[in-house]
Amino acid sequence: MPTHAGTPLIEARGLNRVYRRPRTSLTKPGAAVHALRDVSLTIGRGERYGIVGESGSGKSTLLRLLCALDRPTSGTIAFDGQEITGRPERSLRFLRENLQIVFQDPMSSLDPRMRVRDLVAEPLVALGLPVGDRVAELLDEVGLPAAAADRYPHQFSGGQRQRIAIARALAPRPKVLVADEPVSALDVSVRGQILNLLADLVDELGLTLVFVSHDLSVVRHVCETVAVMSRGEIVETGPVDEVWAAPAHPYTRTLLQAVPTLEGLL
Amino acid sequence: MLKVEDLTVRADAVELVREVSFEIAPGERVGLIGESGSGKSLTALSLMGLLPEGVTAAGRATLDGRDLVGVPEGRLKRLRGRDLSMVFQEPMTALNPLMRIGAQVAEVMTLHGRGRQEARARALDLLERVRLPEPAHIARAYPHQLSGGQRQRVMLAIALANEPELLICDEPTTALDVTVQKQMLDLIAEVAPALLFITHDLAVVASVCERVLVMYGGRVVESGPIREVFTRPRHRYTEGLLAASKLTPRGTRLPTIKGSVPAAGHFPGGCVFRNRCPHATPECETAPALTGDGHAHACWHPAD
Amino acid sequence: MRGRLNAGLLVGGALVGIVVLAALASFFWTPHDPTFVDAARKLREPGGGYLLGADKYGRDTFSQLMVGARTTLYVGIVAVGIAAVIGAPLGVIAGMTPRGWLSELIMRVNDLVFAFPALLLAVMLGAVYGAGTLTAMIAIGVATVPAFARVARAATLQVMVTDYILAARAAGRRRPAIAVRHVLPNISSVLIVQASVSFAIAILAEAALSFLGFGTRPPTPSWGRMLQESQELLFSTPRLALWPGLAIALAVLGFNLLGDGLRDFLDPKLRRIRAEG
Repeated sequence: MPTHAGTPLIEARGLNRVYRRPRTSLTKPGAAVHALRDVSLTIGRGERYGIVGESGSGKSTLLRLLCALDRPTSGTIAFDGQEITGRPERSLRFLRENLQIVFQDPMSSLDPRMRVRDLVAEPLVALGLPVGDRVAELLDEVGLPAAAADRYPHQFSGGQRQRIAIARALAPRPKVLVADEPVSALDVSVRGQILNLLADLVDELGLTLVFVSHDLSVVRHVCETVAVMSRGEIVETGPVDEVWAAPAHPYTRTLLQAVPTLEGLL
Repeated sequence: MLKVEDLTVRADAVELVREVSFEIAPGERVGLIGESGSGKSLTALSLMGLLPEGVTAAGRATLDGRDLVGVPEGRLKRLRGRDLSMVFQEPMTALNPLMRIGAQVAEVMTLHGRGRQEARARALDLLERVRLPEPAHIARAYPHQLSGGQRQRVMLAIALANEPELLICDEPTTALDVTVQKQMLDLIAEVAPALLFITHDLAVVASVCERVLVMYGGRVVESGPIREVFTRPRHRYTEGLLAASKLTPRGTRLPTIKGSVPAAGHFPGGCVFRNRCPHATPECETAPALTGDGHAHACWHPAD
Repeated sequence: MRGRLNAGLLVGGALVGIVVLAALASFFWTPHDPTFVDAARKLREPGGGYLLGADKYGRDTFSQLMVGARTTLYVGIVAVGIAAVIGAPLGVIAGMTPRGWLSELIMRVNDLVFAFPALLLAVMLGAVYGAGTLTAMIAIGVATVPAFARVARAATLQVMVTDYILAARAAGRRRPAIAVRHVLPNISSVLIVQASVSFAIAILAEAALSFLGFGTRPPTPSWGRMLQESQELLFSTPRLALWPGLAIALAVLGFNLLGDGLRDFLDPKLRRIRAEG
């Protein structure tokens, strides 16, 4: 695929997503829920872009749209200059090859009936790419022994499972890694390991990272740019250090004050 | 008031909680922190007599001299919900979806011998006490009509209904958004008669409690006043946990504890932390005792 | 797949095992030729090489029971096979496209078949195509399709909302591959349980059809027909009805217990609780 050096890697314009609740009355249609309202964002090559919001902020909906796992009610998303909205799955190959996801809970995002070998190779098999020795190579990259390939997800701890999920996401050598709350289901003592691993991989492989979290302090450690979401809108966006030091929107200020920090309490 | 001595919880042959001892004085707020597999929730459940099937508790725990461990279910039933009560993590599943809020709050009082009329009236007071807006309106609502934060306040109202001597909270704000969490924590700290607060979040425990017990691998490895434990940790696990929970600036590496938390029953003998500890020596194959007045730790090679 | 052995699984497995063993053994050996008519042994009492006696035509009851087990299993396997092969894919398709017109169509046709009495269907098919084991098997199989489709759809709906399906889509998997690689393996335990329960129903249905004369035709031995033939002698020689009746009851009980036992064995929610801190 040709790269268009001048264009941003991901560009979303005027995204709206309206869900309709199931009807509860015979005469009236179900209520409409605006999960996203007029969201636009631009993510550059090699950027580490954080999206922060609480439950119901629309961050999960936005993520699904960016990954073409759901369709916007209106608006457009271009990936590397190519439109991805409204395309059927069979013509999204360029996106699947170049954008992969790590989900929040590695317990539920790994099929319990599949061996690690098949889980890690799945993106390659699905895209018709050669598997070869790639599984062992990937397991090594995320710090797991090659013997892990023959085991099932439930035989690993939470942190190890998240490593498996990362190995799987890296399998087709994507340009973009989307991480949806990748450490919020993990114990504090392993959180650092996974964040360090992600940082190393993003550096080594020159990845663009889209990092979604409810925790602005985690985003501050990982990302350069942040978009703060509330009630389906991006209320503030900019360099994360600036947003952290001088939040412009009242919601961002509330969010920052609400997070208890050890430093502040002791 | 609450006195726990050598509490041990087993599933089959696996010891999930080992020889845990602590006390809570009236009005005291004590935090119990630990990661998954630390045994913190099982410790709380064994005090409530609510251990899952196949899991048994041994040892001694008393609330004002009344035994909590190893007594028949019938006697525990009278204590539970009256003298000690508990708030769980998931407020949606802990409420009956088909019962109005007011009736659920009143039910716990009629169960323990209060009259129906009195219970109904008191339910409204309780909803007001946990700062729910328009208590009369909330009392007529069903659980699904409330937000997560409101539901958790209802759970707190139910827990407080019979003026318990001790309130146990197990990760009460983990399922809530951060902006809602703060108010909930302040409320718990304010209304709890005496509190045992279970969480994995160091900052949360620091904002609610005065004293803390750190659990790892089913044992209490360190205990003491929050400020002391968190500023001058002695046990190497506490030390590592504190370091790992601080997020350093971008581009720097985060301090970590090597390896991962073993599965239940797979912790090493002796000091439970020794297979992940950078300071472990052969001496650590013998289990260290929890020693020290006030600020105690169970470690052969404590930090200064 | 780990679980705990339970009483249902053991007792059910044992009962089913006896039926299967008897059926397999009957291929090689029976005490007497089960279809050999001998007026001299008519209504012979049990004993002397005739463990359970002989019927009104002088056929050995024990040998008939053994070969009847074969018929019973044969009908069950084919009927449940038809139901599973048609029902499970339909259910999976309906479950994977819950709001599509195809799903609607499948489930409404399903409701229609479900509402139609199975025995009536078998009797109709028998009247049109002639009564026989094959007609009975097809009729029972078709009537069992909706049960499979419903169970498969419900299980698929649960699987489709999991993160690993989303993860498979994000990895680039298309729908057919997701159905085969992720949905089927994860609903297989539910289907196995359903197969076991349907088997019990199929046995009962076959017995009922044979009793009515729409099932297995003479001279092939069948438990249902043994019951029918013993009808007129119910009061004079009750043992002729007792043995096939008992065989049917125990086989049905066996498959039902096996189904319940498998449910408990395979259901992760009922599995030994994981000790969490």
